[in-house]
Amino acid sequence: MTGGRGAARQYDAVIIGGGHNGLTCAAYLARAGRRVLVLERRHIIGGATVTEEIFPGFKFSVASYVVSLLRPEIIRELELARHGLQVLPVDGTLTPLDDDYLWRVDDHGVTVSEIRRWSKRDAEAYEEYSLLMAEMSRFVKPLLGAGAPPLDGSDPRGLVALAGFARRFAALPEPQQTAFIQLLTMSSADFVSQWFETEPLRATLSASGIIGTFLGPRSPGSAYILLHHYMGEVDGEYRAWGLPVGGTGAIAGAIAAAAVEAGVEIRTEAAVARITTRDGRATGVVLESGEEITAPTVVSNADVRRTLRDLLEPGTLSADDDAAVRGYKFRGSSAKVNFALSGLPTFKVLPAGTTDHFRGMVSISPSIDYIERAHDDAVDGRFSRQPYVDMGFPSFIDPSVAPPGQHVMACFVQYAPYELAEGAWDEQREALGDAVQSTIARHAPDLDSLVVGRQVLTPLDIERTFGLSEGNIFQGELLLEQLFSGRPIPGAGYRTPIRDLWLCGSSTHPGGAISGAPGRNAAMAVLRSSRAGASEAA
Amino acid sequence: MTYDAVVIGAGHNGLVCAAYLARAGLSVLVLERRDELGGMAGTSELLKGVRVPTLAHTVGRLRPSIARELGLRGHGLALVQPEVRAFAPQPDGRAITLWGDVDRTARDLVDGGLAASSDAASYGAADQQVRALGRGLAELMSRIPPDLASPTLGDAFAGLRTGLAARARARSANESLLRTMPMAARDLVAEWFESDALRAAVAARGMLYTGLSPRMPGSGGVLLADLAGNDGGLAGQTVFARGGPGALADALAAAARANGAEIRTGTAVAQVRRDGERATGVTLTGGEEIDASVVVSNLDPRTTLLDLIEPEVLGPRLSWRAANIRQRGTTAKVNLALSGLPDFGAAAGDARRLRGRILIAPSMRYLDLAARPAKYGELPEQPLLEATIPTLVDPGLLADGRRGRARTVVHVMSVVVEGIPRELRDGTLDDRRDALGDAVLATLAEFAPGIAELVVERQVITPLDVERDLGAFGGHAMHAESSLDQWFAWRPLHGLGRYRMPLTGMYLAGSGAHPGGGVTGGPGQLAAQAVIADSRQGRLRVSA
Repeated sequence: MTGGRGAARQYDAVIIGGGHNGLTCAAYLARAGRRVLVLERRHIIGGATVTEEIFPGFKFSVASYVVSLLRPEIIRELELARHGLQVLPVDGTLTPLDDDYLWRVDDHGVTVSEIRRWSKRDAEAYEEYSLLMAEMSRFVKPLLGAGAPPLDGSDPRGLVALAGFARRFAALPEPQQTAFIQLLTMSSADFVSQWFETEPLRATLSASGIIGTFLGPRSPGSAYILLHHYMGEVDGEYRAWGLPVGGTGAIAGAIAAAAVEAGVEIRTEAAVARITTRDGRATGVVLESGEEITAPTVVSNADVRRTLRDLLEPGTLSADDDAAVRGYKFRGSSAKVNFALSGLPTFKVLPAGTTDHFRGMVSISPSIDYIERAHDDAVDGRFSRQPYVDMGFPSFIDPSVAPPGQHVMACFVQYAPYELAEGAWDEQREALGDAVQSTIARHAPDLDSLVVGRQVLTPLDIERTFGLSEGNIFQGELLLEQLFSGRPIPGAGYRTPIRDLWLCGSSTHPGGAISGAPGRNAAMAVLRSSRAGASEAA
Repeated sequence: MTYDAVVIGAGHNGLVCAAYLARAGLSVLVLERRDELGGMAGTSELLKGVRVPTLAHTVGRLRPSIARELGLRGHGLALVQPEVRAFAPQPDGRAITLWGDVDRTARDLVDGGLAASSDAASYGAADQQVRALGRGLAELMSRIPPDLASPTLGDAFAGLRTGLAARARARSANESLLRTMPMAARDLVAEWFESDALRAAVAARGMLYTGLSPRMPGSGGVLLADLAGNDGGLAGQTVFARGGPGALADALAAAARANGAEIRTGTAVAQVRRDGERATGVTLTGGEEIDASVVVSNLDPRTTLLDLIEPEVLGPRLSWRAANIRQRGTTAKVNLALSGLPDFGAAAGDARRLRGRILIAPSMRYLDLAARPAKYGELPEQPLLEATIPTLVDPGLLADGRRGRARTVVHVMSVVVEGIPRELRDGTLDDRRDALGDAVLATLAEFAPGIAELVVERQVITPLDVERDLGAFGGHAMHAESSLDQWFAWRPLHGLGRYRMPLTGMYLAGSGAHPGGGVTGGPGQLAAQAVIADSRQGRLRVSA
């Protein structure tokens, strides 16, 4: 332990930001015996994994709204179930069209017969496709649970990992090898179109490839994001597509409880103004209040830009490192609209009285062209007039988040570019909300009469509220050059150019979503490094 | 009749392959369905005595080793490289000019007033970076890719060696191919320059002959692969074959014949014959059978797999995969016979600036919009254009009696038009031929007013024409879309990226094989290497 070296030192590690990854990292460090302090700027922990009561009685999962990728080993090791985490399954995706719909559910047989209504060929291909994607998730998952050493020959660990990976790749049957190459390089639209001819199926599947990234479904690279979202859909021991009881904030709550039990101290309303350094090493932080906290290890849950450009004294980074950070792309392109409803909307294409679709998601993704045109709007510097919307109704399966008989509708929206060609987001917030509402109302005409409250988060709001640069929900786009060892600074992994300053947020491998993997991987890297340092000193 | 090897198609890659095989001692027969040689790299007569580059208009990326080893100069190939590489006029009358000389370009950028002085300074650094990346890329592009499906120890070592060589050449991790190849061209140029006009003039090369927009990941790789050709640096190569691209085909044919190869034109192949899993020759459309233990296809991969080989050989899985190779064309060509030199105001009367590639790519916004309509099966009103006026460097394209209808033809202009979908939402490209030609002329006229009045003759070649006339399924100028999912060891398909087709003794030598399209000869050269390696290992019954 490093604590014994200085009696005045109170903490072994200070963690900037109490998002779910910061809390995860803290919990793992504390379980290894470190004294850890977590500093959160807001009055509430969780970062973008948060539940807040925006309208009386309506509890919104304000930002992230489903949990899909939370690592099973984290759930197990941190005993999150004992700490109160309860996840309810989300079942199915309904894609309404003007005069029909496509509705896929967990029950594979039901889904296949629904698809057969559209295309016999697609129904057969769906079996093959589903199995293939399950195999692909299994193949890629081991990459997520570990760091990503550089692959360019600069680090022998990278070459060992690469050799191991090449061996696993060579052992795959050809269809899986082919699919893996395609998932890394193709557009999601091209990828799914190899199997399917049904337009709403193509569109809804390929829409997973655009989440959080300024790409259209026809842009290469989107197939990887599709895979990223599949990783949570299949897991032998824990089926993790779901809604936590109490909203996504409950995940942060459970992780925080595990962390506190392990001895972590968490302070809210403790915004960090600056990271202090001496001789190229991080030495602690200064809070906005002026309070100074020293620690031999500083781990930042903030994104790479905020950490290395905003929180460090200018000039601390070398020009090359500064250029690398500046070159890291955020380009927020998503918005979130949360509705408080007096009742559930009626999707007009469904038979009267149908309610099972509220157990799952409803996706406004009628065609690839529709989503591509929505992307064109963003390229033109404006929000999509007819956006892609992925919405859920958490109160239907978890009544605790809304007053009795009333409901919460959470809408993820793309595209809403951070940079507008004309005007400012503060003037266009409600126009975006209106566009989303009318897009949904086209399929559920009674929506307007049900709305009792509406919260619109533009990319600018996401940046302001959660400190996510340019409002990117993944702390940086999931572009090929920003994945694996290229994330966030090529070859750096969880380290930064400043010694003893580490990153543990979604800016690091394996990227965004509520997975906890960056936090856990970062903790492992910190612990490995201090062990290596200890043996060096000895 | 019996040969060691039959080559199907006398495109430039088929001829390169045939020449190398003949040089290695194989008896070789080349079969070409059309009457002319060269395929997409050909020269044709637009009017009597007026010759134009039919599709491809420059040959700057031809691998120097091919010209040297096959002695193409001795067989009549003369290359002309103007000082200017690219000229990108702006609507306001200014222009970006990229010269072969880096310093001259940098000076010109400042003098032209379009680029910040910081850009003039960073141009040289970016040029160095592109050359470093280009050399790493050249390592990959000059070799038969490793067998990823079941790598041998040799493959692993070769891969490691290539990786380390590329790494040694990159000055920092930032320059590594792993990072830059998957990038969007737009992001890559933004790391280099402030000036939007300069960014666009460079990024445009990441869009040519592909369906990619500059925002799409992988367009950076296309840009780098193009710039990497022959160490051209940031300005790229602009090299003309005297007599048009067809002159290259003629020189290649002469080299092949000099080594004993026979070439038959007007002879179409119906199918590859086989004995079990082994290719035994070809059957012509007339029914004639030709025996050969090596069959090389210069055709596009889909036609090669689905039309030349019997379906039983492929089986359902491979047939499905072959049908999914992305081959839909994206490029049209407009050839013009002109009664005068177009007046590009931005050239300020300096015709030397027009001797290279003239790019209509004035801004990044323009490139975004030019790539957009094709996504929806529509034609662009203002397309991305790459034009050349080959008669400025090669007046011999016009014979003495160069008479157009009523007016004398003084120049020909060759215009590559990007963003043209093979499938239109409404109607076919045949219905829109004139509209496309008009849109191209209207676009040119914004930069060279009065050009329409100079047009004596106009030829519009759409992807549909390319498909029909040249037999390339989809009419793609690169046979198969150039993007990262159809690249390197998995071009055209994972498991078929090493030139060997599903029949023993059958090979792919066209642009649908690594290292891909463009007039490089690379696929033909590497396919010949694969054939020769296999025959030395006794896998083929040939005389080599």
